[in-house]
Amino acid sequence: MELELESEPEPEAELAAELSARRSAEARRLVLSPRRLLGPLPAGLSQWFRAGGGTSGTGLAEMGTELLSLPCLHTLLAKNNRLGGPGSLPKGLGQAPLARSLRVLNLSGNRFAEVPPALLRLRGLRSLSLGGNRLHGIPPDIQELHSLEFLYLGGNFITAIPPELAKLPSLRYLVLCDNKIQSIPPQLAQLDSLRSLSLHNNLLTYLPREILNLVHLEELSLRGNPLVVRFVRDLTYNPPSLQELAGRTVKTRNVPYAPSDLPESLVRYLSLASNCPNPKCGGVYFDSCVRQIKFVDFCGKYRLPLMHYLCSPECSSPFSSASQSSTSQSESDSEDEASVAAHRMQKVLLG
Amino acid sequence: TIQTMELSGTEWKEGRKYTRNLVDSGNGKFNLMILCWGEGHGSSIHDHTDSHCFMKILQGNLKETLFEWPEKKMNGEMTKKSERVLRENQCAYINDSIGLHRVENISHTETAVSLHLYSPPFDTCNTFDQRTGHKHKVTMTFYSQFGERTVCVSTG
Repeated sequence: MELELESEPEPEAELAAELSARRSAEARRLVLSPRRLLGPLPAGLSQWFRAGGGTSGTGLAEMGTELLSLPCLHTLLAKNNRLGGPGSLPKGLGQAPLARSLRVLNLSGNRFAEVPPALLRLRGLRSLSLGGNRLHGIPPDIQELHSLEFLYLGGNFITAIPPELAKLPSLRYLVLCDNKIQSIPPQLAQLDSLRSLSLHNNLLTYLPREILNLVHLEELSLRGNPLVVRFVRDLTYNPPSLQELAGRTVKTRNVPYAPSDLPESLVRYLSLASNCPNPKCGGVYFDSCVRQIKFVDFCGKYRLPLMHYLCSPECSSPFSSASQSSTSQSESDSEDEASVAAHRMQKVLLG
Repeated sequence: TIQTMELSGTEWKEGRKYTRNLVDSGNGKFNLMILCWGEGHGSSIHDHTDSHCFMKILQGNLKETLFEWPEKKMNGEMTKKSERVLRENQCAYINDSIGLHRVENISHTETAVSLHLYSPPFDTCNTFDQRTGHKHKVTMTFYSQFGERTVCVSTG
């Protein structure tokens, strides 16, 4: 059964009557966007929610504990309110039936400065919108919403994306536009189900080359980012430490070792080796690497700056058919694996 | 006057769809379509293939940014001419001699719906990369036609 309280400018009396006629413990969908409520919230409604502030009814500041008694609420739309302060969500949300039944939650246009921890207990959630709030970051525990398919975080102040976001196995739509994001963690390429990625209007200068691994991606928006169009080679290179050189040798020569042979810290260090992407190299690196940007033709339309890390300045990118000297600054076009991967993308909304 | 056409609601309201829905093909003289814009969704910068284009906002708001045609060399950031936010019931007109534009729903909370009239009809246009002016020809498809969902045909 669906209970809808749309933001129609209805007289208070009608709204209260509708509420008592339709209110039911079987309510599955509750839409509450009282931007245009002209008077105080009617008495019937206030049994469900507590409104903060004065009697002008300009928007909810808290959602009341009555929400917790709804046994099978599926959809909750509470956009354009004044939620965001402590106590916006009722205590005990994680234990309520809501935590298992809720599938769609829209809190866009509110004042959340952080994702409320209680929200992460809504384990059945498939769709979450926190667009147009005041978020500065995304909590790593977002990975607990393991049923999430749709995540809208556009229009906030987010500066970074936690790699844990990539642990959401069903995520299909990820919206991060209009934020302050400076880089994309390469782990995001593990989002195997991703169909649509919205990154426009951020502070990206390049993308990780792993983004080409998102084989099911159909839409990608990147406009309004200061993506570099010409790469100026980074000439500083910190030579590797002795520890790094030893680690590289252990790995590339497959020197056998057991946890009992080495201090735990070194065992851990050796497990963090990254493979040099140069297919002719086969080497590894730990902390010391060279950043290089290669421009890859994207579906024959745009050249995207993709960042990858090489183990040394002498190594060359897999995106070039011939190895380059360290003084070369040529920007090679898409070749081999890069262009094949890029062609899998059906629609790029770089715009 | 056009009768109200009901678009299958839930699918596009809760997802993130940018859908083009053909309403009337005017005996080949024009295309009349309804575009549905999800929150944050915008179009590429595009031209209008020598046709007249009228746009009316039916619901929500759309931001229109006008651009100059890029120089032949296509070597730098495209030049913005102007921008404005079109409100509900407002109309806009564009053709290739006026310039190019990008249309976006910049709201993160509201969807938008617009009515578009193109005369003569066209199904291909050029999209432009704002950073370089590089253009790319695309074929436009309809999500639905005359109220019926269009079977998806891959155009590659």
